[in-house]
Amino acid sequence: MPKKIDDNAPISAKKFMDELRRYERGSVSRRHFLGVTGLGMATSVMAGAVPMLAGSRGANAGSIGDRVSMATWPNYFDTANFETFKKDTGADVQVSVFGSNEEMLAKLQAGGTGWDVFVPTNYTISTYVELDLIEPLDLSRLPNFVEKHYIKRFIDPGTVNGKVYAVPKNWGTTGFVLNRKKVKSNPTTWKEFWDLSRTSATGRVMVHDYQLTTIGNALKYFGHSFNSVDPKELADAEKLLLDVKPHLFAINSDYQPGMRSGDAWMSIAWTGDGLQLHRDIPEIDYVLGKEGGELWSDFYAIPKGAPHLDAAYAFINFLIDPEINAKEVHAHGYPVPDARTTALLPKEMTQDPIMYPAKDLLDALEFGAAVTLTDPLRAEIMARFKAA
Amino acid sequence: MVETINGTVDVEFHGVTKRYGDILAVDDMDLEVSSGSFVSLLGPSGCGKTTSLRLIAGFEQPNAGDVRIGGASVVGVPPHKRPVNMVFQNYSLFPHFTVAENIGFGLRQLKPRPSKTEITARVGEMLELVRLQGFEKRRTWELSGGQQQRVALARALINRPTVLLLDEPLAALDRKLRQDMQIELQTLQRDVGITFVLVTHDQEEALSMSDTIYLMDEGRIIQMGGARDLYDEPINRYVADFVGKSNFFDGEIAEADTSGAVIRLASGRVLRGRNPRGVESLNRNAAGVIAIRPELIHIEKANGSASLTTDVETTARIKNRIFLGDQTEYLVEAEGFGNILVLASKHAESVSGGFSPGDFVNVGWKESSALALEDTSKGGRPTAVPVPKIG
Amino acid sequence: MASTGNTGGPNNRVTAMLLLPTTLWFFLLLVMPLVVIAVYSLGERAPAGGYQPALTLAQYGNLLARLKAFTNTLTLAPLGTVLCLLIAYPLAYYLAVKAGRGAKPFLLTLVIIPFWTSFLIRTYAWIYILGGRGIPRLLEMIGIEDVRLIYTPTAVLIGIVYGYLPLMVLPIYVSLEKLDKSLLEAASDLGASPIRTFFQVTLPLSAPGLVTGSLLVFILLMGEYLIPALLGGGKVFFVGNALVDLFLQSRNWPFGSAVAIALVGIMLAAVALYLTLVGRDRDRQNVSVL
Repeated sequence: MPKKIDDNAPISAKKFMDELRRYERGSVSRRHFLGVTGLGMATSVMAGAVPMLAGSRGANAGSIGDRVSMATWPNYFDTANFETFKKDTGADVQVSVFGSNEEMLAKLQAGGTGWDVFVPTNYTISTYVELDLIEPLDLSRLPNFVEKHYIKRFIDPGTVNGKVYAVPKNWGTTGFVLNRKKVKSNPTTWKEFWDLSRTSATGRVMVHDYQLTTIGNALKYFGHSFNSVDPKELADAEKLLLDVKPHLFAINSDYQPGMRSGDAWMSIAWTGDGLQLHRDIPEIDYVLGKEGGELWSDFYAIPKGAPHLDAAYAFINFLIDPEINAKEVHAHGYPVPDARTTALLPKEMTQDPIMYPAKDLLDALEFGAAVTLTDPLRAEIMARFKAA
Repeated sequence: MVETINGTVDVEFHGVTKRYGDILAVDDMDLEVSSGSFVSLLGPSGCGKTTSLRLIAGFEQPNAGDVRIGGASVVGVPPHKRPVNMVFQNYSLFPHFTVAENIGFGLRQLKPRPSKTEITARVGEMLELVRLQGFEKRRTWELSGGQQQRVALARALINRPTVLLLDEPLAALDRKLRQDMQIELQTLQRDVGITFVLVTHDQEEALSMSDTIYLMDEGRIIQMGGARDLYDEPINRYVADFVGKSNFFDGEIAEADTSGAVIRLASGRVLRGRNPRGVESLNRNAAGVIAIRPELIHIEKANGSASLTTDVETTARIKNRIFLGDQTEYLVEAEGFGNILVLASKHAESVSGGFSPGDFVNVGWKESSALALEDTSKGGRPTAVPVPKIG
Repeated sequence: MASTGNTGGPNNRVTAMLLLPTTLWFFLLLVMPLVVIAVYSLGERAPAGGYQPALTLAQYGNLLARLKAFTNTLTLAPLGTVLCLLIAYPLAYYLAVKAGRGAKPFLLTLVIIPFWTSFLIRTYAWIYILGGRGIPRLLEMIGIEDVRLIYTPTAVLIGIVYGYLPLMVLPIYVSLEKLDKSLLEAASDLGASPIRTFFQVTLPLSAPGLVTGSLLVFILLMGEYLIPALLGGGKVFFVGNALVDLFLQSRNWPFGSAVAIALVGIMLAAVALYLTLVGRDRDRQNVSVL
């Protein structure tokens, strides 16, 4: 086969790209970084445009084709599993990583992504259905998805109007990290978080560059719903945010560097980052606000017009296989709503209070609501907050 | 100003040495330029003449020795504090200024700065001096070479420097313009009464314009004097060869005293010549050379015998003839001498009727016209007479 | 325009052929997108984001909501350009005039080397250099406490100077390199001190490089978003960041288009103003750009 040449070359263009992607994932990629750069897009576009990069196993692969392309979040997968998938099926896994659901939606709305699989968050799925951007799933092609093993609240958002559009990937919470050596009080609520940021922790607090969590947790200060789109309630949140802004260290979803260097003392944070920071720097704790906040779950789904539909099903089914899924959890540290997978995890993980918070804290949390994704007022308030 | 026997001295070099790495550009040089004179530094490229000029201007500092301007040492004084100005080889006019702004540049640097009206007036005077009235607003790059040259002159003269330095100022001009400018420069120098130091590789330029010429080679002054001194009394073969054309007959010094010497050629012929140095005699048995200018050689038909008034005579055959207009140049071959270059004046040609290649002629000269010189290896260049192509 | 007589016809056709790709390129990649953006800017945001047709100036009326982004950009872009200029000029001068013939290629390579790695990664590195464990830590060692650099306008300016310096150095270097050094000697010879020589000769004659470099840096800075995003911590907000947010987060294409059109307008006005000022100055000093 003439294509064999590629495999024998010292380093093929494809291998180089693989290395580059690994480098991005491992060393520098973070949500924000990729969000502002569009690097994830760049790699996916290149893979589509340059045949050399598109893999060379096509001819000896099974019936599913030579590649599968996935849009997901950074630090959210195990590349070793992709190698296994390629060995089993001959299909190359191409990954594009994103900074926000809004951005992912913007790309799908613009069209021509070439994605086969994507990883939407719970509250966005109904919008994708509404906009006809998502493919209903044929569950017979996902034998590894056995409903009874899953926690129900994490399955439900994947079903819209009785049709299943997405199957659960991981779940997690949005709380805040704080450096106990710097913050002397013991904040346990969002109210304390925002008040500290204007007083003793001035200049030391970070909030996400993400409307859902930043506005949502500002709403919590007043006891409003995390998901409110009520203009009066949002006006309260905006007032708080504008008041806090001069005191903030940064508005940035890339909060690990700031927390690690000691520049930042507190930041809104997600489960996985909280886990990583606490593991490396024990004085950094992960706290869930008592008033509540966000509980979220991510899903595997297939966009309308996916070019490799067979590969998409095969890939999702592969990833939710409990053995494979457990390896994924080891790599990224986010809990899984699948009991079969959880059973395979070590005790240190299943008993970790960051991964699995206490029931009363969990019960106060809300799922993000679909309306927040498209609500123009929330988007505009976030923009005004940043531009102020 | 320093009083000397001849008056005041504007520029002095005392044992000045300038090195660039391993290259010795100026070698222990002494120089004295008297006030109001027109001096040329003449020599081939690389002889150190431009470096000497730059040492006066202040662009270079000597490694050893003293440079004085108007009696005061200027070693370490930067160019903008020296009372000398330069006309650069490529004129170096400021492209972003008009003609008037270029000329007025020096005035604008003065402290206190002259008033606008004064600057305008002085620029006007300079424009008149170099005959460029009406060109005030022009861009310098719109001017012809000769006009640019004059702007450069006016710009350098406006501050009335003690010394005006000219670095090959005519090299970029065509022949006719060059000759006009030579006369213009000379006139200008007399009019303004400023000391001019000119650097040139063109002996004709140096001979025609300057009061004093310093002929340089390898960073040293070989001979200094007026145009006549250098042409008629060259102290060695290098000078005789660089200034004008000469025939050279190589041999060994057989006899020598202060007035002259006898040189035995390889052919066995013995020739006598004057010693232009006068005071010291040449070294006997050393290599010597008889030099004689082509125009001092008489040429006539081989059979016409009586009219020659020469001390040395030989028969020769015409190898080549070049008509130069005002005179005719012959290359002849004589036994025992080799090739001899002869210049016949228009008058002589009208008497003899001229010669053709192959003709046999008599050539000869007076012993007082021949110079007996040391064949110095230093500054001595191997070629004697250029041999034109036969044809 | 001098015509070359009867050969004008075929010549014109050849010229037209040669210009065709450029014209097409210009039309497809410059005019068309601009027209699309102009049309979008008159539309409305669709309920789920994006664009829906309409004919309204409402988006432009809303521009003041991004006033801070415009004022930030219009302060920091010129400031960054001036800083680049002040730092680049001595550097370019050294390279072109003072550096030895042996050192010059090496030093020029040093100026260009940063281009060999991604601008992104280089800027990202500054997060650590300016962060608490970078320069502030060093300052602490010499007794200067509590200096905060990262996520401040100063950090953005440092990033700008770092990122754009080569773009300023190279044009100035080229114009200084072309400068006839004997002109400097002439000025000095005519009594100008080194400082006066610089202001009367070197500076005006290197003006073309200066103008080119400044325009290059200024225009690119007006659209900058990466440096403020990475080093400004989302607090130092440029128009570029507003655009990224409007297209990728809010998905408010019409408003984004209006902001983009406004940015293009302001940029054109600023460049025109700058060129007029420079042109008038050049007229006064009779500097030839060519």
